[in-house]
Amino acid sequence: MFAAAGLVLGVMVAVYAVAKAFRLTTELAMFAAALGGSLAGGFGLSPRHLAEGAMTYLDINLIFLTATFFMNLLKESGGVAFAVRKILERFHGNRFLLLVLLTGLLLLPGALTGAGSVTVLITGGMVAVVLQAMGVSPLRTAATVFLVAGLSAAAPPVSLWAMMTAAGVNMPYVGFFWPLLLPCLLLSLLTVFLLAGKGEGASLEEALGRLPEAPTRMNGWRLLVPFGVFGLLVFIGRRWPHETPVLGLPLMFAAAAGAVVLLSPVRLEVLRIARETVQQLLPLLGTLTCVGVLVQIMTLTGVRGLLAVTVVTLPVALVFASLFLVLPLSEAVLMWGAAPVLGVPLVLLFNTIGLDPIVALAGMSVIWPLGDALPPTAIIGRLTVQVVGYRDGYGRFLKACALPAVIIMAVGSAMVIFASQLSFLTGI
Amino acid sequence: MDLPSGSDGAMTRGGGGDRVAALRKTVLATLGAVLLATSGWSFYQSRRLPEPVVLGPGVTRVRTLGEYFAGVRGTVNDCRLYFLEGEEPGGTVLVLGGTHPEEPAGRLAAWLLVENGRMAAGRLIVVLSANRSATTVTRLGGAYPPDFSIPTPWGERTFRMGDRWSNPLDQWPDPEVYIHYPSRQNLAYVDIRNLNRTWPGRPNGTLTERTTYAFMELIRKEGVDLVLDLHEAELQYPVISTIVAHEKGRELAAFVSMLLTDTEFKMGMEYSPKTLHGLSHREIGDHSQAIPLLFEAPEPFLDATRGRTTREALLTGKDEFVKRAGQAGLLFETMDDNGWPIDVRVGRHTSAVLVTLEVWTDFYPDRPLRLEGVPRYADVVALGTGHWLQNPASAPPGRVVVE
Repeated sequence: MFAAAGLVLGVMVAVYAVAKAFRLTTELAMFAAALGGSLAGGFGLSPRHLAEGAMTYLDINLIFLTATFFMNLLKESGGVAFAVRKILERFHGNRFLLLVLLTGLLLLPGALTGAGSVTVLITGGMVAVVLQAMGVSPLRTAATVFLVAGLSAAAPPVSLWAMMTAAGVNMPYVGFFWPLLLPCLLLSLLTVFLLAGKGEGASLEEALGRLPEAPTRMNGWRLLVPFGVFGLLVFIGRRWPHETPVLGLPLMFAAAAGAVVLLSPVRLEVLRIARETVQQLLPLLGTLTCVGVLVQIMTLTGVRGLLAVTVVTLPVALVFASLFLVLPLSEAVLMWGAAPVLGVPLVLLFNTIGLDPIVALAGMSVIWPLGDALPPTAIIGRLTVQVVGYRDGYGRFLKACALPAVIIMAVGSAMVIFASQLSFLTGI
Repeated sequence: MDLPSGSDGAMTRGGGGDRVAALRKTVLATLGAVLLATSGWSFYQSRRLPEPVVLGPGVTRVRTLGEYFAGVRGTVNDCRLYFLEGEEPGGTVLVLGGTHPEEPAGRLAAWLLVENGRMAAGRLIVVLSANRSATTVTRLGGAYPPDFSIPTPWGERTFRMGDRWSNPLDQWPDPEVYIHYPSRQNLAYVDIRNLNRTWPGRPNGTLTERTTYAFMELIRKEGVDLVLDLHEAELQYPVISTIVAHEKGRELAAFVSMLLTDTEFKMGMEYSPKTLHGLSHREIGDHSQAIPLLFEAPEPFLDATRGRTTREALLTGKDEFVKRAGQAGLLFETMDDNGWPIDVRVGRHTSAVLVTLEVWTDFYPDRPLRLEGVPRYADVVALGTGHWLQNPASAPPGRVVVE
């Protein structure tokens, strides 16, 4: 059984490598690897398993789509520009407060959608303009936006790494809020102050001149009411769960999007924005769909079991010592697929040795996004340097990320090692 | 129409590029359609796979759950109830198979009760598909086979594999967080489709909540004394090879555990946690006169460390990877080269039911429950589960129904 599963794993790795060598996208390379694994495992093309695997993350994909649609509508309505301009005008003279608020702006889209790319696209560009106007170099600005975008993706309420791993071990996605929020918030602030804490600022007028104008009729109410709609629906569902119908997160985000359309001071081209949202998300939706297919085939052929049993029988000290390296590398290769493939056996191991699985998984979720800057995928890293407008070498960008990244790895690893001592976080 | 110099060539290349793109899209769309059609046919077939049930000599009536609560009538969860009524009066016991259909030993054991059992005293009500919706789907990402077949002396009987949760086609979407009724305990959002997290149910709730409410109505209206819920568990799960008992059934479960361990196989016993809600062993006891007991048998096929996910692995219960996890001290049940074959798991459940009824009758002689004709653990292991499944083709007219 070990040899057979090992052979299938070898075939899958080889097919993935060849597909990448032929410049196929990551999602297609994963799909090809799944097909290769199914054939090598003696299951033929197994259409039932391909289709079933593709549906695994349907709900998460729908959350992804509707949340990003909501944020895109908000951006097009001028709400995001309004918020950035107001923050800059109000706190221009107070660098500390300004950086704290910009960190919040960077954290919000990713936390709501679970995707760092959404942070980069929605608020990343505008925050970058403000940071550069505050005297932060394009290099440091790119590093700041990338690292906080990654942490925003790990932040609650939607953390895909935690959700996917929890689902894989039949663990409720409950109790994660504080174990995820505290490290993500504190590490984001630390990152921002480390990279953007110092600099000679430009004048307020110059900075505002480089930001997009907000529509004159935009105001705080128009900006906040859609968030209020979303919050109200969540509140109603929790306060009166047995008197109200089940809506689900996608419909809640869709309702918030509807509120943006109704309150927007400018006429929004809803269909165009919807089309662009789908186009913007296609690679990420494709990745999640193909991760589902890959995991299904790995489970079918015993490859997932092989990886799981190998990981859970490793010396624990070795696992702890290698987390900082293994997690980002697995993310770089499999993107979110790293969570069900590697996260599931690791959580099983941590649970078995008596660690709090929620805190341990939260710690891992903080480390995973760092891999989004690393080849072969490096999707979020490359997207960030494009959006920010940094044009020098990619290696220098990675070096600029290094110091905060080491701190993030250390904090994430410490959360895993001391998960039992930190278990009080799950009950706050 | 004037074109800039060189534009012809550009157009030709563009046209060629368009044609290639169109061809690529057509090929991919065709492949997608083929995948959709072939997989769709497989899902369609497994959702509608007929599972025949031969009504054994002891079955006196077949009713449906919808007769007890109109809220499930005509739905996919309007399951059949098989009544086995003795000539002597006595107590009433309800056996639930298929609470979690992906734990098939529970369903199969219930099948053996219906096809072989005969009550000498008291009444037995058997459910084969407590969450029928969950029998029509397999776990996404789990790569489980859609069905499996049990060999019998006269051929094969095929059963749906099923899932732990109701089919999303029947109940969707899930809430952001599942808040249990009436305790208001927060549970995982997906567990709003888990029949063993929705007890005691509510009449205007989701399909799964209405199903447990309907069972509560059945328990109340039929005056059920005892409910036995048959399950299986992965070996990495600490609640395994055990009886989970509501405090009302503490002594009963303790005696059953001792008797089984002394005479047939090791069986533990633990109390139902008072603070964990939605489970049969907690809520049925809290909200009705009945005593609920839940039985767990070991199933390596559910373990996350399992190897190839095949029908063979489901039936043999053998797995090298799970065994390796056991050698590393990561399991709560033994795992050796013999594995946990389906016959062992089914036999554990049939004996657990029989011994429970024997102990019940000793405890409550005024409400006896005497069941005959059902094979014990040793019989099922020796002759196989299939030996005890009856041939629908040779059943008397009118004595076959389909689940």
